[in-house]
Amino acid sequence: MAMENLPETQRRAIVRTAVTLGLIAFALFVYTLWRGV
Amino acid sequence: MATAHHADHPSGLMRWLTSTNHKDIGTLYLFFALTMFFVGGAMAMVIRAELFQPGLQIVEPHFFNQMTTMHALIMIFGAVMPAFTGFANWQIPLMIGAADMALPRLNNWSFWILPFAFTLLISSLFLQGQGGGPSGGWTLYPPLSTQGGIGTDMTILSIHLMGISSVLGAINVIATILNMRAPGMTLLKMPMFVWTWLITAFLLLAAMPVLAGAVTMLLTDRHFGTHFFNAAGGGDPVMFQHVFWFFGHPEVYILILPAFGIASQIIPTFARKPLFGYESMVYATASIAFLSFIVWAHHMFTVGMPLAGELFFMYSTMLIAVPTGVKVFNWVATMWRGSLSFETPMLFALAFVMLFTIGGFSGLMLAIAPADFQYHDTYFVVAHFHYVLVSGAVFAILAGAYYWLPKWTGHMYSETLGKWHFWLSAIGFNLTFFPQHFLGLAGMPRRIPDYALQFTEFNQISSYGAFLFGFSQLLFVVVVLKAVRGGKKAEARAWEGAEGLEWTVPSPAPYHTFSTPPRVR
Repeated sequence: MAMENLPETQRRAIVRTAVTLGLIAFALFVYTLWRGV
Repeated sequence: MATAHHADHPSGLMRWLTSTNHKDIGTLYLFFALTMFFVGGAMAMVIRAELFQPGLQIVEPHFFNQMTTMHALIMIFGAVMPAFTGFANWQIPLMIGAADMALPRLNNWSFWILPFAFTLLISSLFLQGQGGGPSGGWTLYPPLSTQGGIGTDMTILSIHLMGISSVLGAINVIATILNMRAPGMTLLKMPMFVWTWLITAFLLLAAMPVLAGAVTMLLTDRHFGTHFFNAAGGGDPVMFQHVFWFFGHPEVYILILPAFGIASQIIPTFARKPLFGYESMVYATASIAFLSFIVWAHHMFTVGMPLAGELFFMYSTMLIAVPTGVKVFNWVATMWRGSLSFETPMLFALAFVMLFTIGGFSGLMLAIAPADFQYHDTYFVVAHFHYVLVSGAVFAILAGAYYWLPKWTGHMYSETLGKWHFWLSAIGFNLTFFPQHFLGLAGMPRRIPDYALQFTEFNQISSYGAFLFGFSQLLFVVVVLKAVRGGKKAEARAWEGAEGLEWTVPSPAPYHTFSTPPRVR
């Protein structure tokens, strides 16, 4: 089921959730390295 | 509600390489996990064959160390985690009334990273001239891991790939559950399996980047002149243990929370009663997840921590028994005065509840810091975590596979073969791991290919059990293949007492389901 079929608000919400979570994960990775340093 | 469009996707190899369908990707994850289960299992057979007698008879000690390390890495990252992700892919959209996962293309990528990651990891075994595969234990503690050969570098890269796959999978699960639920499906109406996976996904998101950080520092210590973990250069090898276990303990719950979810789906079905204490189950799962981040140093009581640290980690670890006890109580209370029947999924789920609880209790023993000084790095620990991970996670995976097999294949599996599989597994498992408690208490160290003569009998029982358990898993393959190829047709609601949206669509579930979201009351 292609994402294009979803309502625009739902698509935006999905992308917002995914980008936020991705940034959190990357920040945790960087924070671990920074604490190591 | 359910529609079938078999012509709108490629067939053959391209279907599996390019698929963005949650059911296809779920199937890929499940078959990958099963394959890795047998690869890791073959390594366990090598370990138990070597330990059948004292002395060295079958493999070199260095190869034995590679087997213990690879067995753990493959079973954890290659078998149990992908199996649960396979369940998540198949079941979460079906259970919340969504047409697919929120990010289908990302889903495809998450899966297809894995075969490359594990090819890289396993191929290190073929480089025996350069030191072979990783051999310092799955925990990759320095200085052993900084001294390893190229196999350690391949392992680090492979762990990075697995981490990317897991984090992308976790993002997809969270985005799906938060944004794709059918109208009326409030959070507290979600099936327990969905709840446990939502919480697991947050654990993955918080834990995997920490592991990635730890192995990145290991890599730079090995090749780029840093001294994060090198005491001679001002670093601290114990810091690796802290960072590793800050990932490692939540990882334990990543491996068990979805198992709790599967048991919470199966027990009500075969007790023909709703789950007892649904909301307390949700809060208990969340509590376990929170506590998993503040107990990590119980894995390293013997490194020499301040007394206050030991007390903190001892008490925080014991606290986990409370929400876990809530769960076990609720499963038992669900069965209380239920109209019970004992089909194969229920047998595996019941064994899960009983045997996981044994693993929980031995965990409580290990949580007691002064007692842990005695048990640390003995076979008692090996017995403990196999009760949690085999009779816990693996039995729940098998329970879930039998439970949803009719929905996936459209056929009922052979109950006779299923019951044979269960009883051989349960007997083989206990024969393998129960004597290891005694071996550990008597002082037999783990990860050593030889042992003192007085440990022989229990080791022989353990090896007999392991061969029985290992070879009985082939029955599962027969059961699955038979169900895929034919058998009694499964109804939409394959089990009389089953509740939930997945049982409202035909069996097998059509390629596309819930194109129009259902309304949940």
